[in-house]
Amino acid sequence: MKNVLVAIALTLLPLSGAAQSKADLTRDIVTAHALPRFADLASGSQTLANASIQDCTSDDLRAHYADAFDAWVAVSHMRFGPTEVDNRAFALAFWPDSRGATPKALAGLILVEDTIAQSAATYADMSISARGFYALEFLLYDAKISTAGNPAYRCLLIQTMAADIARMATAMSDEWQDAYAEQLLEPSASGVYRSDAEATQELFKALLTGLQFTSETRMGRPLGTFDKPRATRAEAWRSARSMRHVAVSLATLDDLALRLADGNLPLQSKLLDSFNRAHDQLLALEDPTFAGVAVPQSRFKIEIVHKSIEAIRTIARDELGPHLGVAAGFNALDGD
Amino acid sequence: MANRRQFIAGLLATGLAPTTTWADVDFPAFLSAAVRTDGSYVLCGINAAAQVVFQLPLPARGHAAAAHPTQPIAVAFARRPGTFAIVIDCISGQVIATLTAPNGRHFYGHGTFSMDGSLLYTTENDFEAGTGRVGVWDVTNNYTRIANFTSGGIGPHDIKRLPKTDVLVVANGGIGTHPDTGRTKLNIPSMAPNISYILDGSVVETCVLVPEMHKNSIRHLAVATNGNVAFGMQWQGEGNPPGLVGTHVRGAALNLMEASTEQLRKMQGYVGSVAFSGIGDAVIVTSPRGGLIQHYNLADNALTKSVDLLDASGAAMTNAGVMISSGTGALMNVARGKTVKSQITGLQWDNHLVGITTG
Repeated sequence: MKNVLVAIALTLLPLSGAAQSKADLTRDIVTAHALPRFADLASGSQTLANASIQDCTSDDLRAHYADAFDAWVAVSHMRFGPTEVDNRAFALAFWPDSRGATPKALAGLILVEDTIAQSAATYADMSISARGFYALEFLLYDAKISTAGNPAYRCLLIQTMAADIARMATAMSDEWQDAYAEQLLEPSASGVYRSDAEATQELFKALLTGLQFTSETRMGRPLGTFDKPRATRAEAWRSARSMRHVAVSLATLDDLALRLADGNLPLQSKLLDSFNRAHDQLLALEDPTFAGVAVPQSRFKIEIVHKSIEAIRTIARDELGPHLGVAAGFNALDGD
Repeated sequence: MANRRQFIAGLLATGLAPTTTWADVDFPAFLSAAVRTDGSYVLCGINAAAQVVFQLPLPARGHAAAAHPTQPIAVAFARRPGTFAIVIDCISGQVIATLTAPNGRHFYGHGTFSMDGSLLYTTENDFEAGTGRVGVWDVTNNYTRIANFTSGGIGPHDIKRLPKTDVLVVANGGIGTHPDTGRTKLNIPSMAPNISYILDGSVVETCVLVPEMHKNSIRHLAVATNGNVAFGMQWQGEGNPPGLVGTHVRGAALNLMEASTEQLRKMQGYVGSVAFSGIGDAVIVTSPRGGLIQHYNLADNALTKSVDLLDASGAAMTNAGVMISSGTGALMNVARGKTVKSQITGLQWDNHLVGITTG
């Protein structure tokens, strides 16, 4: 990993009190938030795939893995359009894995040296539990899986998984560039979005989706309950990336939230403050794997971070939604 | 209203009253959970004229409810992934029993009584095993849990009983969740929803969607007086689904009802509730995200009419049509093509309207 945590420049984005039209808002988010992040994911994943061919065991490979995984986390809230084609997002990020399907599938592959791993093309038919960043983490960091079976086969598996990741990441980025950006920017009667308001709503929903996942899953899963903390359910704890993922997620969601709040300076300030608070509290934990959930003193501090992220969700739902005019009704927003 | 209830409660206390029925609670026709303006949660009884006849406090947000077939007793279920359900005497307003999901289980917010009212069935998630279960509670023994059996799939949500029988019908939505991760969906790529019929604890019939529709979560059910079933779905795939509403006659395949691409778009992949019309000619569904009430004509198996109602969500059969509830507090009585809208102030109706029926 490059450094312990990204100290995200939350204030890089100029705050602006001048209201843009919905179309301008969408254009800003598509060109400055979505497209560069998907491009980063594609290039980072390609670099990872290339590095795996050079050497499938080095620290260098792990560093490229960290960069590409960061890039995934930074787009992981945009779960619509290209990420949903062919279950790409699920195949890139099969987590949480409540029943341990990933290590089971990998151990099975390694045991029989399954030829499905001979190329990214054949591997596309592999069960998604054995694909993507979380599966690759086992091969690079898990004590058992990273030493199981034949080293040459494991190397092939790493190379194929990295190539599979690169293939999917490139396809998503290409589709965003070639067609999907246009769908959001040019709403039409026959398009995915009928109006600028619908495009704005999609982007607002992405913010809520990201905040929900980070709060309920990235934080909520290791927290468990006071009586039953679940440190080993933290995201990517084997590679000590649990806390980092929350930081990367907060940074990307902060960028999106401030862009969405454009034209409302008090709301932007409020969002900025709340993201800063959560981010600072998170950094102060100095607990990369959230192992502290099991100790009352440190658990308390992790719970505070969790509460701060919940507070951001409340602001997004109760203030940003109405500001955008896309606030949904009681049941529309929260049915079952 | 309060006087009448107090009077009856007084009679009950003196032991002078005969067995009470729903008629003693000013004939509520429906139950619905709601949120009050002050943020507190209640279970409400609503009569056929769309008036609120009682409001009873709930400890947390409710979802759906179950009405006892004869006695004025309602069970209010916590919203998923809640672990409590409370049994309320609708005359005294007292909680007469509290159901707690066993360790490793949570409720989905729906349940139903057996034909004679002696058993209560609840849909549950066995979340470590990742399987759907139906819990059985003995009404006659203070709602003791006495058994549980498979729901026939993952993520059982709505459960209903076919009229005049003890055959249960369960909508297994197909989506696996775990309370550690709130409502995060864990198995979308492999989800496989179904409708299962269960008699005496055994699945007697299971119906699945065509493979292309496996991401269409079958969530809510309605049963007609003839035992036919209608279902509403929630689409988890990309783009728009081929349909979100269907019907089923036992022994046949699931039947998808048709809607235009434009109408499907407006629904945003989501049906809130489903009900048969009381005159038996239509299936009516709500789409809170689209702010729509849609009528699907059974004769031509297609969407024939759509009415706008902001945040439309609950739906229940009436003699002549349906009653619809909305998160804005509105109640809309739709009868023979005419709609009468009432606005209840201070209440936001939550998700489902449950009809009180006997038999």
